[in-house]
Amino acid sequence: MPLRTGSAGFGRSLPERGLLLLVVLVVLEGFFLPHGAASSPDVSHKESLDNHREADVGHNFTKKAFPVLSLDYHHIQTPFEISLWVLLASLMKLGFHLIPRLSGIVPESCLLIVVGLLVGGLIKLAGEEVPPVLDSRLFFQCLLPPIILDAGYFLPIRPFMENLGTILMFAVVGTLWNAFFIGGLLYAVCQIQPANPSDLHQLELLPCLLFASIISAVDPVAVLAVFEEIHINELLHILVFGESLLNDAVTVVLYHLFEEYAGAGTVTVMDCFLGVISFLIVAVGGVLVGAIYGILSAFTSRFTSHTRVIEPLFVFVYSYMAYLSAEMFHLSGIMALIACGAVMRPYVEANISHKSHTTIKYFLKMWSSVSETLIFIFLGVATVDGPHSWNWTFVTVTVILCLVARVMGVVGLTFIINKFRIVKLTTKDQFIIAYGGLRGAIAFSLGFLLNKEHFPMREMFLTAIITVIFFTVFVQGMTIKPLVELLAVKKKQEAKRSINEEIHTQFLDHLLTGIEDICGHYGHHHWKDKLNRFNKKYVKKCLIAGERSKEPQLIAFYHKMEMKQAIELVASGGGVKLPSAMPSTVSMQNIQPKKPPIAKSAERALPQLTRGREEEIRNILRSNLQRTRQRLRSYNRHTLVVDPYEDGFNELLIKKQKMIDLEKKIKEMNNYLTVPAAPPDSPTMCRARLASGRNTDFKPAQQQKGNRICEDPQAYSMKPASGTVPSIQVDLASPQSPESVSVIDEFRRANREEDDQGLVMRPRHRPGGPNKKTEEEGDTAKDPQKLMRCLSDPGPSAEDDEDEDEPFLP
Amino acid sequence: MGSSRSRMDDIPHAQQLIHETDFSAAHLLRLHQRFKLLDKYQTGELRPRDFGAIPALALNPIGDRIIGAFFSPGQETLDFPSFVRILAHFRPTDPNRSRDGTQQELANSRTRKLKFAFQLYDQDGDGKISRAELLQVLRAMLETQVVEEQLQSIAERAIQEADLDKDDAISFDEFRRSLEKVNIDHKMSIRFLK
Repeated sequence: MPLRTGSAGFGRSLPERGLLLLVVLVVLEGFFLPHGAASSPDVSHKESLDNHREADVGHNFTKKAFPVLSLDYHHIQTPFEISLWVLLASLMKLGFHLIPRLSGIVPESCLLIVVGLLVGGLIKLAGEEVPPVLDSRLFFQCLLPPIILDAGYFLPIRPFMENLGTILMFAVVGTLWNAFFIGGLLYAVCQIQPANPSDLHQLELLPCLLFASIISAVDPVAVLAVFEEIHINELLHILVFGESLLNDAVTVVLYHLFEEYAGAGTVTVMDCFLGVISFLIVAVGGVLVGAIYGILSAFTSRFTSHTRVIEPLFVFVYSYMAYLSAEMFHLSGIMALIACGAVMRPYVEANISHKSHTTIKYFLKMWSSVSETLIFIFLGVATVDGPHSWNWTFVTVTVILCLVARVMGVVGLTFIINKFRIVKLTTKDQFIIAYGGLRGAIAFSLGFLLNKEHFPMREMFLTAIITVIFFTVFVQGMTIKPLVELLAVKKKQEAKRSINEEIHTQFLDHLLTGIEDICGHYGHHHWKDKLNRFNKKYVKKCLIAGERSKEPQLIAFYHKMEMKQAIELVASGGGVKLPSAMPSTVSMQNIQPKKPPIAKSAERALPQLTRGREEEIRNILRSNLQRTRQRLRSYNRHTLVVDPYEDGFNELLIKKQKMIDLEKKIKEMNNYLTVPAAPPDSPTMCRARLASGRNTDFKPAQQQKGNRICEDPQAYSMKPASGTVPSIQVDLASPQSPESVSVIDEFRRANREEDDQGLVMRPRHRPGGPNKKTEEEGDTAKDPQKLMRCLSDPGPSAEDDEDEDEPFLP
Repeated sequence: MGSSRSRMDDIPHAQQLIHETDFSAAHLLRLHQRFKLLDKYQTGELRPRDFGAIPALALNPIGDRIIGAFFSPGQETLDFPSFVRILAHFRPTDPNRSRDGTQQELANSRTRKLKFAFQLYDQDGDGKISRAELLQVLRAMLETQVVEEQLQSIAERAIQEADLDKDDAISFDEFRRSLEKVNIDHKMSIRFLK
């Protein structure tokens, strides 16, 4: 038994064990499927018969033993088999990545096809009928949409739009060229050899053209699968990938056109003309349908602030409906899906919560990954299934013609395109584009859809299609990586965009728009600027909720950057080098450790904490957070734990602004304002002490510093020597921490209770001006203390009991 | 475009301009037509108010800076050769063209393009983009009501990222380095001018 041999190899390394595990799984799956399918229907059928009989006749019949445990496979057959396939696909994916050597040489798609072949072979060996897995309906309705949606939603719009002309040329003209070249020459080749009439002579021109139109389209699934692993530069990636997406319209039209008229036998000029019109309708219609659904989805997301959990659902459902609606009218479903994803993304992302965004991202990646895996496995299974009709001439000529047509098409088109491009395509680029023209499962499914009566050569077609797919995926897929290395093609730049790049890029956009206006030339920048203005003025107001609609792009970018950094900082535990800035209204950071006292004050970058200290901080934080959480539970003013990044973000910004104003006011009252004497054991103080890196004995500042304003240990100011101002900042707390709760809720409450007064410090029942230090020190110290506390204190402490009767803010 | 069509003879120093800026004769003609169109009163020279008459430019957040870049400091008028020389910066770079060692660096080389952009930031001409200058640009670009602190933070952050010699300003070298990854040839070229 395989298991026995597996366990015997103690000395084997993990990869080998992984491989064995794979084999075991494949064997198991192979056995289970047909066995399950075959045996149970009889059993369950018999059982149901028995039950029936029993029910009919009643108690007169001799009672059989009550079935304590019964097997009813038929009951759950379909979902079970689906789940089994999905499980197989996912386990395969897991398995491959356990074996790094293999996944480095062979692209995943190849391995998956091989697995599919194995499984199909096993099923056939077991004597069962292979389930028709690559059923066209299943493929087009369930397997393809997730992949395309994932591609469309995360499509990099900027390079796509900049190269749109090139992409369209390749997609439309290139595919047409391929189809007619291959079809025509194939027909010619089939007609030669009049000496020995073979089946090929029966092949008419139109079926040839139909076959050629099926085979000539570059497949997005295959391109994605292979190009993902070679990390090629953005331009080439978007060219090939964009072409594979946009040629769907051409394929749809050609397919329907030739299918319709293959029966009739002739195509007139009128039909060609109608074909062109049809192409325009299919393409533009598809994009329109997608855009409409995209706008609907964006509009819906505007109102989802109270039901955040179902936000991702809207994105998925609207997109799927866009696809189905387009398919309903025989428009291009792929283009609809791309348009929908691309149109809705900027608005939806401005409206939805951070968590929903993560959910959408991961769900899309998950579904598309599983779909892709399943498609390749099914390709393998369907290959084994057949039906095949091998014809050496036809198949080899097809393969050769595909290659030749592709190369000729790319070279010829590039020659024309380069006249209009600023950044020309070099020979290396052309080679990669030509070589990256992979065919895939869409071609197979389209072939599968062909009607046997109209197309007696259907099986031959399928065989040829499969051969071409195998050739491109295996040969081209495996060799493209070494070729990319060999030719030293530019790779993808991994670095993130810096704020400088963003600022300067926008600046240059404005500059170029201005220059174009001066020259009187309505170019690329002019229209982009117009579109941006229109977007800002009308569209954003409709589709984005609240104040985010007015947020300039630069600010949004900056927010995102800060957020990312904040998350990274929390995740890494505080040892990250951060640029410090003035108290920022934007950033919600920071558990920033202050520099140790010896460090130079001019240095802005923060040095790393030692590991021991980090551990110490973490422990203290953990225990303190626990304590504060417990405290919170006893005092249920807060009903909902709010996510600090989300609701109330804008209010938070406003309130922060007011705080900054207040800070300025505090600046003025500088003489008597000393550091608030917060209770030494409050968790905030503990944390502050540790984080500030100073010695941990707390000396109330009043005792220490007398008149001077000293640095507030509670303030995590980023500019250490800013001296006299106790800067007010909000702690970055983890989302479950009550810190954030108190902050937000405080502000809400303040809002409700005091309209617009914000955090006003009013001296409480005492006369005299600011010069009476001694009496007032206590009281006024309490005000800033309250101020500090309401910012960072999680809840009530013993000292606050006296204040409970008053509103929290005076 | 213009009501009167120019001919090559109308253009002063045409051959010299062609040689200097590498524009083709057709392009030069087109630019001359545009020049004459902008020059409403046919004075043969342009003034800032002529540029101001372009409606789209008024909407541009850095429109005034662009206009200012055309006029050298102190000059009130702009003649055609200067007009052409400035616009020569925006020609697409030709990678195949070999450059003579003795020849002056082409106007549309990457460095010259960046220098032009840098000068738009650096209004006082001290060779550095100070924080104040950066803030001015940010304020102009982010026209809507933006909180001052946000601007400060962004400017602070930008300078921190780019400023390698810690002088609290961005020099031309640092500017160039921060734009390493951006394809300037593509971003700062107008296809019209080829």
